[in-house]
Amino acid sequence: MKIIACYSNKGGVGKTATSVNLAHAYAAVGKLVLLCDLDPQGASGFYFRVKPSKKLTDARFFEDVKRFTGAIRASDFEGLDILPANLTYRDFDVFLSRMRNSRSRLKKALTAAGSDYDVIILDCPPNFSTLSENIFKAADQIVVPVIPTTLSERTFEQLVGFFDEHRLPKKKLKAFFSMVQQRKTLHQQMMEKMRKAYRKRFMRSSIPFAADIEKMGQHRAPVVTYAPRGAAGAAYQALYNELENGVVSTK
Amino acid sequence: MSYETETLFVLRGAFDPAEFVGLNLRYDPEPASKPFVLLDCHDQSIRASGRTLLEFGGSLHLLDGQGARWSQRSKGKGRFVQDLPGGPVRDALHRFPKLRALMEITSGVVEEGSLAVLDDLEKTQVRGRVTVLSTANGQATIIRLSRLRGYDKAYLRACDAMLAAGSDRADLSAIVQALEPGEAPYRAKPEITLGRSEPSIQVATDIIFTFLKVARQNESGVIADIDTEFLHDYRVSLRRIRSVISLFKGVCSDDQTATLKKTFSDLMTPTGRVRDLDVYLLEKDIYYSLVPHTLHPGLDAMFGQFQKERMQELSRLTRRLRSKAYQSQMAELTALFSTTEGLQPGPNAQRGAYDYACALIWKRYRKVCKIARSITPETPDETVHDLRIDCKKLRYLMEFFAPLFDAKDFKSILKPLKKLQDNLGLFNDYSVQQEALQQFSAQQSNAQGRVDVKIGLAVGGLIAVLDQRQRAERDRVIDNFQQFDAPETRQLFRHLFHQSKE
Repeated sequence: MKIIACYSNKGGVGKTATSVNLAHAYAAVGKLVLLCDLDPQGASGFYFRVKPSKKLTDARFFEDVKRFTGAIRASDFEGLDILPANLTYRDFDVFLSRMRNSRSRLKKALTAAGSDYDVIILDCPPNFSTLSENIFKAADQIVVPVIPTTLSERTFEQLVGFFDEHRLPKKKLKAFFSMVQQRKTLHQQMMEKMRKAYRKRFMRSSIPFAADIEKMGQHRAPVVTYAPRGAAGAAYQALYNELENGVVSTK
Repeated sequence: MSYETETLFVLRGAFDPAEFVGLNLRYDPEPASKPFVLLDCHDQSIRASGRTLLEFGGSLHLLDGQGARWSQRSKGKGRFVQDLPGGPVRDALHRFPKLRALMEITSGVVEEGSLAVLDDLEKTQVRGRVTVLSTANGQATIIRLSRLRGYDKAYLRACDAMLAAGSDRADLSAIVQALEPGEAPYRAKPEITLGRSEPSIQVATDIIFTFLKVARQNESGVIADIDTEFLHDYRVSLRRIRSVISLFKGVCSDDQTATLKKTFSDLMTPTGRVRDLDVYLLEKDIYYSLVPHTLHPGLDAMFGQFQKERMQELSRLTRRLRSKAYQSQMAELTALFSTTEGLQPGPNAQRGAYDYACALIWKRYRKVCKIARSITPETPDETVHDLRIDCKKLRYLMEFFAPLFDAKDFKSILKPLKKLQDNLGLFNDYSVQQEALQQFSAQQSNAQGRVDVKIGLAVGGLIAVLDQRQRAERDRVIDNFQQFDAPETRQLFRHLFHQSKE
């Protein structure tokens, strides 16, 4: 099992769109995927038309394995389930350690239900906290969308600084440029600069600023399902390929 | 009501999403409808096992009532299951009778599509697959619903709506009923209801009429040469009829009994050679395993001859079954046995069935015991043959009258009887096969009585093995009879068939 965290310490960078489309890309190749909506402002569940469950407001929810597995909802896509929860720090801590422990009751319950997930994608809240630190420790890869602007450069610097300060493995950081407008000179310059400054941190793939992605709110579905030939869908696919297989699209 | 994660429903008729009240359904039929064939053997053992086998789009699809589906790319019509290429369908059908071929039960067009039950946000809450089968005589819709994680209530609602719309849950037998309404599946041994005091002549006509129908249901399969069981069932039905005529003594006049006996024997005669050859060819592998490799070329020649002869004999039989004379004879016999009016009653005609059955079975049982107890290692083979024939008659009598007696008691008698009969049957088969082989080598020999060396060696080798096997079977007869002759069985026979006489 592999845990991928979608994280950004700055809001409005396309983090939830990335979680949703990456989750769909993994499921499309036959992987069993659980997308966890950990961001109270996030909308992963919204994008899959999954209604929030009343049960989830209960603080002691995660100690009850049955209620936890009962909160998981199948999406409209084969192999892709959603956990529409906004967790407290403590809950999440418990959750991560149980998912990692093959002998935990939670893990056993999921295995028994035929859903020993291959990939867990976490749509994380945008802040630095003890929760983020735990996510950084637990995740195998941390996917960070970065808009190529001066402000984003600063927040990314903060993130890398946080990793240094806490002696976290920076290798996990998989940053990519998000909402890229190729015609903007500033975007081009920022990308060049940051790629130089963080040579190993940035993936080659980037996601363009596209109307199709903005339309996700209207369609409430992953991009490729309503715009199968659009540039945005292809970009997420390329991002998936690079993340999963290290293959860089030449297009 | 509880449902599994997959539940299968069968709806008689076409699929109309509007029929399911209270469900927001989206149905996406796949564009092209394809021709399909529903396959099973003559006695529909796949249907009896609660499953359905369809062939369409170049593949076989086996469905079960729980919603499982096995598919493999292969054709199936006219083939034996064990001859299908390896795959999930063949594996799932491993209990299918080895002697039965897959034949078309019905055919038409199939349309498939996907189904979704949606909520107010158009989110899929229940997924499904729809398969609509249409024939010239009817339509059936198979709906398979899948439970999605976190949407249990919606799933239960959808399942209940399926039932409310009149579909059968997990019952695939409804498919053939819907596609071919009014068609009853073939039964080699249909149940015949008898009354204890029913006149014996009525019992006889009921049994004969039933088995005439069974025999006729096998004619087209013999002609089409689908598998060898058609001819076998045809012969068994006629043999049962002949046994009723000869064993129910005094039910018809002596004259009519003699005429009818001859009529049915004459009907059997032209089938005998084909059946013999069928048996040899079915046992081909066994014959090959009985003799060393060096003798196999002789067997190749022999089975080549058998195959050729079977083709000739079968085409002769087929011509006969198709002939006007045969057809009108069978129609006349069916008419004759549809009532008792055309029969000339004998002295036992009005005797009550139960009383008559007890007398016949008791008498035959005593005869079996008398012959069997006389058998020692020195008794000639003919006596063993007589025992076989009397056991067979006893078995037939018991089967004819079974509905009048306690099923459990009958089962405990029939078990050791069957064992004894199997033993005697093998004894007989080995002896008949030796004779047939000798006859075959005589036919193959030239005017000087010389036989081709290959064939001579193979036949000689086989006869030697068969003779040993025959003697081994014979040695078992005394033992098996002693098991049948156990005190409990004796008591049961007396209790069932000879009570009033005590």
